[in-house]
Amino acid sequence: MRKAEGGILLRLLLLFMLHATGTSYSPPGKPTLTRCRSPEKETFTCWWEPGSDGGLPTKYALYYRKENSDKVFECPDYRTAGENSCFFNKNDTSVWVNYNITVVATNALGRTFSDPVDIDVVYIVKPNPPENLALTVLWDQTWPYLHVSWESPQKADTRSGWITLIYELRIKLEDEDEWEEHPAGQQKTFNIFSLCSGGKYLVQVRCKPDHGFWSEWSSSQYVKVPEYFNREKSMWVLAVIFSAFALFIITWLIHMNCHNLKQCILPSVPGPKIKGFDEQLLKDGKSMDAFSSLVGANFPPTTTNYEDLLVEYLEVFVPEERELMLEETKELHNDSLKFENSTSDCDSGRGSCDSHTLLIDKSEEEKGQQPDQQSSEIKMDGKGQDEEDKYLTCSPENVDSHQLSSEKVKTWPSSFSPLPEYSPIPLQQPNSHETSKQPCLSDSLFAAGPLPSHFPHLGHNTKDEIGSSYWQFGISNKQLHLLHQQMEAHQQLQAHKNASVSNIGHLQLPSVRFTEYVEVQRVSDQNMVILHPVPSHPETSYPDWHQTEEYSKVKCVDNDNGLLLLQREGVEEGMDMCSYEELPESDPSKTTNTTFTSPCSQPAPSVQDERVVGGYVETSVFTLPTY
Amino acid sequence: MMAHIRPVSAVWVGIICLVFSSRLSTMKAASICPNDQTGCHLLPLANLFDRVIQHSARMHGISDDLHSEFELYFLPSKNQIGRVSRNCHTSTILTPNGKENAQRIAREELAEIILKLLVAWRDPLWHFHQSMSQHDEFTNFSSNKSLEMSDMVHELRKGVLKVVEKMQMLGIISNSVGDTGSPEALLTSDSAEWRFMKDYDLLYCFRRDSNKIQNYLKILKCRIVPKHGC
Repeated sequence: MRKAEGGILLRLLLLFMLHATGTSYSPPGKPTLTRCRSPEKETFTCWWEPGSDGGLPTKYALYYRKENSDKVFECPDYRTAGENSCFFNKNDTSVWVNYNITVVATNALGRTFSDPVDIDVVYIVKPNPPENLALTVLWDQTWPYLHVSWESPQKADTRSGWITLIYELRIKLEDEDEWEEHPAGQQKTFNIFSLCSGGKYLVQVRCKPDHGFWSEWSSSQYVKVPEYFNREKSMWVLAVIFSAFALFIITWLIHMNCHNLKQCILPSVPGPKIKGFDEQLLKDGKSMDAFSSLVGANFPPTTTNYEDLLVEYLEVFVPEERELMLEETKELHNDSLKFENSTSDCDSGRGSCDSHTLLIDKSEEEKGQQPDQQSSEIKMDGKGQDEEDKYLTCSPENVDSHQLSSEKVKTWPSSFSPLPEYSPIPLQQPNSHETSKQPCLSDSLFAAGPLPSHFPHLGHNTKDEIGSSYWQFGISNKQLHLLHQQMEAHQQLQAHKNASVSNIGHLQLPSVRFTEYVEVQRVSDQNMVILHPVPSHPETSYPDWHQTEEYSKVKCVDNDNGLLLLQREGVEEGMDMCSYEELPESDPSKTTNTTFTSPCSQPAPSVQDERVVGGYVETSVFTLPTY
Repeated sequence: MMAHIRPVSAVWVGIICLVFSSRLSTMKAASICPNDQTGCHLLPLANLFDRVIQHSARMHGISDDLHSEFELYFLPSKNQIGRVSRNCHTSTILTPNGKENAQRIAREELAEIILKLLVAWRDPLWHFHQSMSQHDEFTNFSSNKSLEMSDMVHELRKGVLKVVEKMQMLGIISNSVGDTGSPEALLTSDSAEWRFMKDYDLLYCFRRDSNKIQNYLKILKCRIVPKHGC
């Protein structure tokens, strides 16, 4: 009682004194248990954080309660573990038992309880770091490696199997910052390879129980790796150099054979191209230039070519009523192309004898048309002066023999000319004998269309005037070869040849300026012989001139002044274009390749004139006997 | 082609058989103890122990995961007073709570405790799994874990029994350890208690008990075959 009273009095006095001084005092603040740890699962320690002491000396006490028991125990050891700690020794520690721990702070004014904490020793185990860390450098042939060994912490009893620890170590070079960690499991040794030659290493190790916390890292151990020759590294260096060298060589080889490889691997794809076509010109806008290269040398024919394609015409004296149209086909000597051009376009009225095939094709047609064209004879009769006005003069152009190229533009009387580009032939006075008027053999210049219509007209006209021998010339429907000869004396038919023909044959009785050989090109179905001039001396003047037609041999002149021609057996140059037919109109159905004997009243004139060569028809020859 | 395959296949089968038989014979001839070291004959036992310990470790891991999951979902209030009065139904089984205690008792007793524990948890875990699968808030992962846990208890008990048999065969322990912990005997004692436990308390109790089992097995191993990884 007295003690209690004394205590109370003391407390009251203390409070009064404290009050008198003027400071504020309060009960202690709430302490907190920070952590509880067990190093070996046999003992454990709890630490707490004291709260404010309230200005008064405060005492702390730890109380605990075990699971399923209400008995409160106080901490048996406050000192071993240090300040604000409670150490539970082996006798007080029960594993797999739930502890309920509370810290109480007590001062003069009161006491404060901390929050209770439930712990189980099994789950708060944090062992000590491993001990006796040892580093050794061992050699594997020529390679050094580090052998690390350690021991378990002393307190942890792993031998009895009470605790199972797993370890982990880390290593780094002395001047590095990054650690290289290696888990080691339950073993207590470890080997580290791939060391830097001459490097200084630091090694640390730590451990952890199977359910618990990691220990702290052990103290570092140093080791120095001796210098050694890294063969592997040098081998890699060599390999890299070698591969670089090989790559360089391969690249150089590829570069040298770049073009070949390109062709091999990526063959060029042929682009769409037209030979001779320059697309750049097209892009520039010069379409005509671009297309010009496509154009052949002779297609499309220019105006100058047109002239070449034209037939050389014969100057012919034509009576007024009659219109003589004489055309002379111009031989295309060395111009096979022109020949082709002329022969290919049969519709333009070129000489059919120029065409190889046409003549053969048309031979049948000629026979059919013969009766129609029979009347259409172009006669050359001696009309007189009035008829001479109707000369159809074919003005020859160049008489040069070497000009083989172009055919003359054929000339037609205006009424006859179906082709507008051809100028009509100026009529010449018949008295001007100097002017050689020769029948113009129209070559294939007549259009097929309008021409046949003219023929009957011609034929009728001429027939009325006939009185003299005349020649009948077949006119095919394709071509017009009219050789009208007036057998009158003053009438002269002069076949003018163009430049391509050396000799200009002419039908001229008194004066023969030029003599021209007329070659029968074909025989029309109306028993008309189509003639075209031939050179007199083909072998001399034009050695390479190929006659595409056959030469007809005049057999005789019949009663009606028809010219009987023989077909020549031998085909010159292998060209058998012209089919010959009997001239006399009395026998229109004569086929080709027949010779006539009966109608001949007069035999063929003997070859006297030098103009007549080989029996070839020469216009001048024929005129002679009639006069 | 077919005619070729048959004799070739027969030859191959014969070769394989020869290889296997030779292997087996070598296995028998070349025993696990080539040099006849001391304690070498205990190697199979040590291996058995290792296997069982691994098994128990896995069981404990699963229970730990489930317990953590439960704590996340339910978070029992830490200030509950009633929490202290938790009582596991296996608390009737006297288990050593310290290292010295565990080392002091006999091996047979330790083995028996292990077996008792395993038996005691067979039914509660099965029912726990049933209740888990019925609740929608549990994920499939948890449900699979509870099933796995339940199966593991069975397997572990069989394994421990095998170890005990081996030990008894080797003469290490006496034959007193048997299937003493019969399910019927245990069930009569604490048949009703675990049914009243909540799921969370069940998990808590089992987590602890699986740890006990693992630890006891380790102690047993290191007491019986100390030279093989202790």
